[in-house]
Amino acid sequence: MNARRAWDRYRTATVFAVTEHLRNRLALVLVLGFVPLWITLVHLVIADGDVTFLLRASGEHLTVNGNHISQISGAVNAVTLIVGFMMFIVTFRSVGFDQRLVLAGYPRSHLLAGKLTALVLATAAVCAYATAVTAVYWTPERPVALWMALCGAALAFGGIGIALGVALRGELEGMFVVIMLSIIDMGLQNPVANPAADSDVVRYLPAYGTMQSGTAAGFVEDVPWAHMALGPLWFVCAVVVAGTVLWMRTRDRRSPLAGMRRGVPRRG
Amino acid sequence: MVRSASPSPQGTAGTPAPATSTLSVRGVHKSYGHHRVLRGADLELPPGCLGGVVGENGAGKSTLLRILAGQLSPDRGEVAYAGRLGYCPQHTVLNPSFTVEQHLRFFQVAYDLPDLALAHELMDLLSFAGYRRHRVGSLSGGTRQKLNLTLALMHDPPLLLLDEPYQGFDWETYERFWELSARLRDRGRSVLVVSHIAFDTTRFDRLWRLEQGRPVPASTGAGEGR
Repeated sequence: MNARRAWDRYRTATVFAVTEHLRNRLALVLVLGFVPLWITLVHLVIADGDVTFLLRASGEHLTVNGNHISQISGAVNAVTLIVGFMMFIVTFRSVGFDQRLVLAGYPRSHLLAGKLTALVLATAAVCAYATAVTAVYWTPERPVALWMALCGAALAFGGIGIALGVALRGELEGMFVVIMLSIIDMGLQNPVANPAADSDVVRYLPAYGTMQSGTAAGFVEDVPWAHMALGPLWFVCAVVVAGTVLWMRTRDRRSPLAGMRRGVPRRG
Repeated sequence: MVRSASPSPQGTAGTPAPATSTLSVRGVHKSYGHHRVLRGADLELPPGCLGGVVGENGAGKSTLLRILAGQLSPDRGEVAYAGRLGYCPQHTVLNPSFTVEQHLRFFQVAYDLPDLALAHELMDLLSFAGYRRHRVGSLSGGTRQKLNLTLALMHDPPLLLLDEPYQGFDWETYERFWELSARLRDRGRSVLVVSHIAFDTTRFDRLWRLEQGRPVPASTGAGEGR
């Protein structure tokens, strides 16, 4: 009975979280239009000349097609912006509503699990689309690994979007921070702007793991699993921060009070 | 910051609420920085009572109600009540992406209700049953407020805390709100309404005017001004 109730709560939270994403028309338009536009423009504009990229996973300098690796960084840029934006907006707009649900008795864990499930589904779909668009212009060595790498970056920015959504007070602030983070991240790791990208600083950027594992997926046989895991690690850290802030915001402040009796008959 | 209740000047901390009360508030203090909003608020609400707290803008009415609802922690004092409560916030707290029916479904799961019979009854009473499939983002302010109120009442709690619950209502709905409140009171529910408008005070069984951070008992007689 309890398992059925828990499943009902999780299922309801998930269905509504997915519904919320599907009703975010701007995000859907961005997914359908921005992803192919960005990758196509990179394909048409960026030169085919060779660039050198330091693949830290193997410690070797790869010489790769500048247009192809730029498509990878463009795809990373597009999916991080879109998923970061989607998660920020959904989280930001529903904080008050979620607090009301929690005070009404909805377990936080079920609400959070529903939102995270929706994030994973949205990430998988958006990144599959970006990988498919990339595959129209050239054939990556390992397309599935490229999809997984993109998912890592999208998850990292999705987690950051959630954290910003619960921590910031203004919609514009959150949008601005997501965009700036993505610009800084991909600007510093862009193989054309910074061909070697061999500064240690880039290792601390959210999409670093994805650029490493995505480049490996595009041009070599080996899959650098440790670097592949960095995106999800960023995601976990961001969600822990978001969860802590959300817990502080939505906790029931009646409980610590002496004399408070909630849901049970009062003594006396 | 949450603090455990410490002994108040009235020495009530840790004391169970009187058996005759659904809600007991004793010595509640709350400050925002140097601004002292509540200065030892006391209030008792028995079962089957329709109570009102009135006061001017900024008097601390919403702060008091948010403390009672568990959204804010008091700096000091004690709040005790029996059973579950329903809280209708001053500003509609809804999700514009969802339909009215989806809101009801979400709160049905939150309240763990077997069905939505009471919610549908409330929708009929407040005349917005025709909007079930409408998304909240497309509703008028008055209809959103009806849903806001329905979400607070649909689990039939023994205690209702309503913050300016009739904002945006037309006259007919306003009248129906009072009919509904009276009906709930007659069924033994305790209802506490907070409002800055005090021209309908005869509808209350008990009335408090929030002055200098304390609810002061006031007359419910006709002709009560602000």
